[in-house]
Amino acid sequence: MDTKKEKQNQPGLFGLLKPYKLLLFILIAVTIVGNGFNLIVPKIIANAIDTYMKGSFVVSRLIIEFSIVAVLVFIFTYLQNIVQVYVSEKVARDLRNELTAKISIQEYSYIERITPAKLLTNLTSDVDAIKTFVSTAIASIISSVFLIIGAAVLLLLINFRLALCVLAIVPIIAVTFFYVLSKVRKLFLESQKAIDWLNKVISESILGSGIIRLLNSKDIEYNKFLVASTEAKRISLNILALFASLIPVITFFTNLATLVIVVLGGHFVIQGTMTLGNFTAFNSYLAILIFPILIIGFMTNVIASARASYGRIGEVLYVSKEKKNGTLASTLRGDIEVKDVTVLFGEKAALRDVSFRVLAGSKTAIIGPTAAGKTQMLYLLTGLLYPTKGEIIIDGKNINEYDKESLHSQIGFVFQDSILFNLSLRENIAFSNLAKDAYLEKAISTAELQDFIDTLPEKLDTVVSERGTSLSGGQKQRIMLARALALNPKILLLDDFTSRVDNQTEAKILDNITKNYPDLTLISVTQKIQSIEHYNQIVLLMEGEVLAKGTHEELLKSSPEYVQIYDSQKSMNQYE
Amino acid sequence: MSDYSLNKTDIAKEKEKGVLVTAFKRLIPLMKEEGNSVIFALAAIFVSSAATLVVPIIIGHIVDVYLQGKNFHGVLMFSILLTAVYIVGLISSYIQVKVMGGVGRRLLFNLRNKIFEKLQALPVAFFNQNKEGDIISRINNDTDKLNQFFSQAFMQFISNIVLIVGTGIFLLAINIHLGGVALIPAVIVLVVTQFLTPWVKRTSLKSLRTLGSMSGEISESINNFKVIVAFNRLDYFRDKFRESNEVNYKASISAGIASNVFTPLYTLAGILGQIGVLAYGIYLISVGHFTVGLLISFLLYVNNFYNPLRQLASVWPSLQLALAGLDRISEILTLESNIKILSPEEVNVPIISSSTSTILEFKNVYFRYGEGKEILKNINFKLEKGKTYAFVGPTGGGKTTTASLMARLYDPAQGEIYLESKDIRLYSGEERAKKIGFILQEPFLFTGTVYENIIYGNKEHAGFSHEELTEVLEKANLTKLLDRFSEGLDTRIHPGGDAISLGQKQLIAFIRAVLRNPDILILDEATANIDTVTEQLLEEILRKLPVNTTRVIIAHRLNTIENADEIFFVNGGEVTLAGDMQHAVDMLLHGKRQS
Repeated sequence: MDTKKEKQNQPGLFGLLKPYKLLLFILIAVTIVGNGFNLIVPKIIANAIDTYMKGSFVVSRLIIEFSIVAVLVFIFTYLQNIVQVYVSEKVARDLRNELTAKISIQEYSYIERITPAKLLTNLTSDVDAIKTFVSTAIASIISSVFLIIGAAVLLLLINFRLALCVLAIVPIIAVTFFYVLSKVRKLFLESQKAIDWLNKVISESILGSGIIRLLNSKDIEYNKFLVASTEAKRISLNILALFASLIPVITFFTNLATLVIVVLGGHFVIQGTMTLGNFTAFNSYLAILIFPILIIGFMTNVIASARASYGRIGEVLYVSKEKKNGTLASTLRGDIEVKDVTVLFGEKAALRDVSFRVLAGSKTAIIGPTAAGKTQMLYLLTGLLYPTKGEIIIDGKNINEYDKESLHSQIGFVFQDSILFNLSLRENIAFSNLAKDAYLEKAISTAELQDFIDTLPEKLDTVVSERGTSLSGGQKQRIMLARALALNPKILLLDDFTSRVDNQTEAKILDNITKNYPDLTLISVTQKIQSIEHYNQIVLLMEGEVLAKGTHEELLKSSPEYVQIYDSQKSMNQYE
Repeated sequence: MSDYSLNKTDIAKEKEKGVLVTAFKRLIPLMKEEGNSVIFALAAIFVSSAATLVVPIIIGHIVDVYLQGKNFHGVLMFSILLTAVYIVGLISSYIQVKVMGGVGRRLLFNLRNKIFEKLQALPVAFFNQNKEGDIISRINNDTDKLNQFFSQAFMQFISNIVLIVGTGIFLLAINIHLGGVALIPAVIVLVVTQFLTPWVKRTSLKSLRTLGSMSGEISESINNFKVIVAFNRLDYFRDKFRESNEVNYKASISAGIASNVFTPLYTLAGILGQIGVLAYGIYLISVGHFTVGLLISFLLYVNNFYNPLRQLASVWPSLQLALAGLDRISEILTLESNIKILSPEEVNVPIISSSTSTILEFKNVYFRYGEGKEILKNINFKLEKGKTYAFVGPTGGGKTTTASLMARLYDPAQGEIYLESKDIRLYSGEERAKKIGFILQEPFLFTGTVYENIIYGNKEHAGFSHEELTEVLEKANLTKLLDRFSEGLDTRIHPGGDAISLGQKQLIAFIRAVLRNPDILILDEATANIDTVTEQLLEEILRKLPVNTTRVIIAHRLNTIENADEIFFVNGGEVTLAGDMQHAVDMLLHGKRQS
């Protein structure tokens, strides 16, 4: 994939902030004003001391001046914090919405390629990193730069020579600091990796909780965790070791600056070229000067991690991949042709040169061993997957010419795994917006769900949970069928639908489908030959290739593989 | 069955104690094992604080005696003293950061391990009652908050408190009145903090919760994206997310406004302290009770007092978050597994006299999930060693529940289950796992290779090379199954994606279970997605298991059970012996469905 080219469209981290210009301007203004008042404080104190020494001190004036400054500092600092929170949360929210909007117009295959886990990270921790950047870095850097320049200027104004000596120490501090920090940054990256690793172990231990308890393998999981946890500790202790030397050293350099002030400044005071008040102010400004340097250093970390996160988000946000969406929105008849289709996953072929035709209103079964490519075949027919080579033709037109929404609204797909949303049963079944009430009733009775729904406390309005643990496998699968039928589809795709439904119910349901949806084109992936013997066509897939196709009788004569499968199932025929 | 739901906590139950008290209450027990390091670090903190505190006095002295007395030599002499103090400060603060930081990181390490250990000790019911996405986000987020606190804020927190207390004492010692004036704003601001803390805590807890439910929302949708695409419900994904995003946005802003109140407040207090000291100090000087030098050192002390206080305030939100995280985590830590290993005295009927050929017995077993309706009613049956049993019946009849009870994933609400004539609750997890093999309906695989997944949790074959393992698999007739994987034992597995089919997952689970050679092997619809040719292969493997292995096959397909010695029919919470195959078929065909 040509990521470089795709990423060119992405604005930089600061470009992201363009839409928030006004808010940011307010933020900057508020920050500068607030810090400006902060800078005045030492000067007020210096003046008070000096005017007292001169004997012209008025206490009420001091208190009034000072109190006004105090209140203003409070108001502006809090204001700055509130604006910060507001902007950063707004940026985060909008970014999340933008991301989901972008994800929601992507193809299924795209989501599978990027992987859901990665998208989840994009939406949570990556957005968080950017949020931190907006909320702390921007205001901190502005105020730090302002304070450094402001304090330096004031120092120079108070006493030029002393200021130069004090300011000479600043570069030393800055260089030490940034040197150590660059080392720390590398460790931070390692530490993030260790934490990702930890989180993965935790996630798997939760998702695999059943098997872990059955195998009593909690010690194994614990040891896995311990290894990751120890690694995380090791890295964080290394970071600590760097910080442990860094902070005292910087404090020491700052103290040396104080020493300069005491000795040289003291000399000036004794000489009479500097007032005692200004001597005090010098010490205060020094404190104001050093702290922002550290802040800027820490913020470079925040910026770096935000930039990395934004890069990852950009891969999703600014993919210029064109959606293969056609414009045809006609009502389908249901003629399907699969023409020389090959699907490659990397170098591995999931399907190779597959061809077959399905007539409108007919019934076709796809059978074959595990990992034969049956599910992928169904995905191709709905545009969830695209052929690497070959064509899928529906009613004489290539599938890509159809409008996706129109296509999906006419093709019902019952997936192999049961997926329930945290919604009421009604909303789960009428999941598509096109599912009308009349369709819903027909779908429920066809899927033989009415009896089950009647036993529920709130009938159709009962909320089923994420993994539907309170429902049996068969119940879930019938709900999946009802969901597909509620579209009143022209084509129905069943993926191993009957694997968890008992024979009696299965027979009834298939009967219902024939009765209630007479014109339906049915394509069913299944393991059981018995229920598909009367189908118009059976396609035998193996290792991604079509081994045989035809009716049951034809295949019995022509395909030894089919006969083998048939024989392996025959033993049950005497009972059913 | 106990309630493991994590989302029922009402905020009202939080007792209004000072945050500091709560913080220390929570943190001190964690620090127990770190006794010596903590004492050492505290000593270093005291020395470095003392070094910091002496400086203003020295400077004050220099101003008063040498600057006003115009004696530069004295200035130089005291500068040397100052340098010495700075060096002491340098060394002691290095030790302080290093040792205290180490304590924090080890605390985090132990805490993380404790959480994980607890997670492993909780029963399956816990994971069923809480959304998996929610548990994952809760644990990852909250430990991350703790991480941020322990690796960054914790040290500052401790040393700042020492510095504040020390400065406070100095201020009062130099001049009790002026010291009082300096500290009044601090007292006021602390009282205000007490009032604000519940607000801050409440809002930040709420924002953490909304974050949890938002990521739950995302993972639900993204993991089920194919359904969303196939049913044209991209709007569902977008809108549902937008909604929880908006909720989270509002909660985060409230939390931000609340937790950001402290920094400005403490800055204000610091400036007020300076005003008071300056005004009152100049007055004291004018009446001859104080000196300019002392006033300058006093102002420095006020800074020394309020700066750490302000820093503390800026660390405060992260302390709040850490405490909120700690609260949510201790919610999990206090959960107790109800699946406990009992001692013989705790069992009602210690030993029952059933024949030695019985491997498993259900006696008057009742079961329900939580407060739900009864799933199993008065179940009684015995399983013999070496026989094959089939449990058949319509979907939703209680087959999987029965099997879960056999493997003690749950305990019965009433009644007993005996494994080799001993109450199943008497067995340690290890003994139980050794005796019972269970292939789940929806198998879970770990990231890694097929090889790693096959020998997962297998003590006997741990550390086997590929060749050795292949040999063992060969003996167990399992090698043929590996043909279904493009790179055999080395095939990579990423549980998330669709690269590996459900049927393939079931094959690995099958190999994993058979290889362990359990006394009872339970297959819960374990081959539902495997093609019939491969399935015959599996049947052959099952036939060749050691003579003493009891097989329990759960199915609704009759062909999978034709070799069963006995057939149980499970429906409507009842388990009845079906006798022969024909009888079972009749029941299956005509029995009233309750699904």
